[in-house]
Amino acid sequence: MILTPEVLAILLLNVIFAVFSFIAFILSIKIFLNWDIESTSTAQYKLEKQSFLSATIIKYIFIIKVPLFLFFIFTLDKISNVLTGAMCGAGVVDATEYGIYLFLLKIINLYIFGYWLALHFEDIKHENQPYTKLKFGIFIVAFFLFIIELIIEGVMFSSIEVDKMVSCCGSLYSSTSTSYISEIFKIDTTLLLTLFYTNYFLMLLFYFFKQKYFFALANITFIIISIMSLIIFFGTYIYELPTHHCPFCFLQNDYYFVGYFLYSFLFIGTFYGFKTGFIESSKELVSKNYRVSLIFNTLYLIIVSLYPILFYIKNGVWL
Amino acid sequence: MIELKNITKKYEINKNNTTIALHNINLSIQEGEIVILKGASGSGKSTILSLIAALSKPTSGEVIVDKKHISKLPDNFASIYRRDNIGFIFQKYNLIPTLSVKENILLPLVPLNLSNKEMEEKLHTVMQKFTIEHKKDSIVKRLSGGEQQRVAIARSYVNNPKIIIADEPTANLDERLSLHFIEILKEFKALGKTVVVATHDPLFFGLDFVDKEIEIERGNLLL
Amino acid sequence: MKNKINIYLIEYAINAILRQKYKSIFITTIFTLLVFLLSSIFFITNSIKYELNSTVDALPEIIVQKVKAGRHYDMDGDSIDSILSISGVSDAVARVWGYYYFENAGVNFSIVGVDSYEKQYKDSLANIVEKFDLESDKPSMIIGSGVRDVMNQNYYKDYFNFIKPDGTLKRVEIAGVFDGDTNLESNDMIVMSKDLVRDIFDIAESKASDIVVKVPNPDEVPTVVSKIKILYPDSRIITSEDLKVSYQNIFDYKSGVFLALFVVSLFTFFIIIYDKASGLSSEEKKEIGVLKAIGWRVDDVMKEKFYEAFIISFFAYTLGVALALAFVYIFQAPILQNIFIGYSQLKTNFELPFILDIQTLFLVFFLSVPIYIAATIIPSWRVATLEADEVIR
Repeated sequence: MILTPEVLAILLLNVIFAVFSFIAFILSIKIFLNWDIESTSTAQYKLEKQSFLSATIIKYIFIIKVPLFLFFIFTLDKISNVLTGAMCGAGVVDATEYGIYLFLLKIINLYIFGYWLALHFEDIKHENQPYTKLKFGIFIVAFFLFIIELIIEGVMFSSIEVDKMVSCCGSLYSSTSTSYISEIFKIDTTLLLTLFYTNYFLMLLFYFFKQKYFFALANITFIIISIMSLIIFFGTYIYELPTHHCPFCFLQNDYYFVGYFLYSFLFIGTFYGFKTGFIESSKELVSKNYRVSLIFNTLYLIIVSLYPILFYIKNGVWL
Repeated sequence: MIELKNITKKYEINKNNTTIALHNINLSIQEGEIVILKGASGSGKSTILSLIAALSKPTSGEVIVDKKHISKLPDNFASIYRRDNIGFIFQKYNLIPTLSVKENILLPLVPLNLSNKEMEEKLHTVMQKFTIEHKKDSIVKRLSGGEQQRVAIARSYVNNPKIIIADEPTANLDERLSLHFIEILKEFKALGKTVVVATHDPLFFGLDFVDKEIEIERGNLLL
Repeated sequence: MKNKINIYLIEYAINAILRQKYKSIFITTIFTLLVFLLSSIFFITNSIKYELNSTVDALPEIIVQKVKAGRHYDMDGDSIDSILSISGVSDAVARVWGYYYFENAGVNFSIVGVDSYEKQYKDSLANIVEKFDLESDKPSMIIGSGVRDVMNQNYYKDYFNFIKPDGTLKRVEIAGVFDGDTNLESNDMIVMSKDLVRDIFDIAESKASDIVVKVPNPDEVPTVVSKIKILYPDSRIITSEDLKVSYQNIFDYKSGVFLALFVVSLFTFFIIIYDKASGLSSEEKKEIGVLKAIGWRVDDVMKEKFYEAFIISFFAYTLGVALALAFVYIFQAPILQNIFIGYSQLKTNFELPFILDIQTLFLVFFLSVPIYIAATIIPSWRVATLEADEVIR
């Protein structure tokens, strides 16, 4: 059982989140079932008031969730000092069977909450609030995912055993590991890189032809391909070590925290890309979304490509 | 310009008790008209003002202002409508005594996050009009009754609304200030504003520049 | 999502806070106090951890002890030779030391034996050996400042009489007083020649209390440990890594306990805030009604309330942290310090080193500000959604 102050802080906030999101959940159900903007009954007015509360709660959770996620990563790093064998957050994630699911779920939930907020802001711009039922329906689903995340987090932290040896990222993220990660390594590196740059090029194309849906889809695939190529190829150039594939180590200060920048840019870029396709909004907002998405995705691409290029320039060879 | 069609407003005090504030009212006010709503306290005149200002929603019926159905606006849009179209003068002014004149007047505009320049412009226009500029930075609670009245009126006017609503504006004033208020009403008329005043102060009855006097008794219009 | 910050709204919020002087001061004070307590505890533990880690770093990487029937026993000094032959080992020193219980004062002294011609395993000891001469004709020792104070209190000024296991007295002259490398050490330590230690504790010539092993390459430590274990199956081996981990765990445990207490107080605070924020005077309600009448939306009112909450909580947070910094590092945290160091007769003149890390600041932040804001969500909403027309009548 890991009882560091950081973990307690996270669990405490999780309890608060659980209580408040539950309130929002109950309200969401009521609104989803009974909302009728045309009605002038007292019941409807009450619902309108309650929709404010739900929206505020969700805003609050999201605003805290983002820095808390960074804090979560910090905490994983700190715990890695205490766990035998772990040298970075990857070891902690691997210490239990829940670790990787928790991580993925957290990221997915960030996207979902972000999307909800974007939908909400669009919704209240219109007098007839066209997306209210939709957005609260989405929250009902999001709530379950969120609660699962909180539960898994609690279970994970309580089941980490300090004396149990964990694998270090070196063995986890290698082609010889026996986990699912090794599956990624079976993909040919050249193919992956081609896919990566082609995907980016496609995004540019869809931007020029203003194809919203394809743009959004391209962003979704971009997330997956970027992470894979980061682990298999680009990461090794950040570490300047052909066998070091860990996606966590470059979050540490030895690498100037570049991981935080890379992941943030990727998240912002793909999130805005996702927004363009799935949220109907005014023309200027859509073009703003396009631009933001493109800028951040490009930034990500440039930074991540610079590492191998600079390495080649410095050393004259590839890894 | 302002139309109340078949308006009924009921207030639910508790599960078993409802009062009917307005009973199937029909009312029509043209642009630029000065209208006095006469009636005792509790007769429903304040309710009519709330409805015109979209501060409350009718139990049944429609409120149409400038061809827009404002009775069904969701809360946020109702506020925006109010901010852009209505100037409110309250019975007891309801100024914030610890803030300055300037801050009180600009209060309706605070959420808009306008530039400094725009705020100053609007402030200047309205302070000049109601001759309160010299007291710009004074704290409101140190002002005289007359000066506070001018601040309250200036605040209602800062966003250049089309409609001015006053709820018992002279109830707490002496005769001099009440008469002064009536002078201001004349000014509003000259500026082409639509004004609706709810009052039982006899000073307002039978004035020549008033276009309509509507009497209300227990939720019903007296014809 | 990307609105410009509304300065006018912030000004209004600040003014609203000031208008409610007593309520605001009350809440801010309590909150500051909570943050102050919390930060102080974290700062103290961070500093102590740092001190301990520095101490551990000064030690050799491996300590080998003989264990018999679960207890620590003297071991053969000759074991050194076989250990030295393990690759990766740069040095191995047999230590002779023990705890001497001084009954009159009810305290323990740590007595460490040194041989001046040997290479010392700790720099602080090397300094002492250099500075003081232990090979004088009369048996003498160098003592730490805490030891000196205790001895003085018991009327021992220039010498001390140790009671040997056989009951006889051994008089040892006090040749000097030292300051150790780190404060935690020097206080209860006495340094003398190894022979003298053997004499006082009746340890045989060939035996040693334990053996310290220096392994310069940290990656090789686990291998060396396993080789020593094979050589001496009855040994207990402690690595400096183990020490660091156990320190971290102890501190986390202690901090955890305090944190649990803190959480309880936080919930109480939560309820207080909720109550205070909900109980609005009719004056406040009227003000909100007026704001809505003149065009403020529900969102605007809630935003303003949020600014109020954030300003108060962030101000209290900053103040609490600043006060904690002063309390811990300038006044050296009286009372609280003892909870962590352990209150003993030998009071430490321990100076807490100044350690400020971002993670702790964030930790305290997450434990305070979001909770305050959470407490204000529902009350703010209630206020913002009041029917304006009911309020103005």
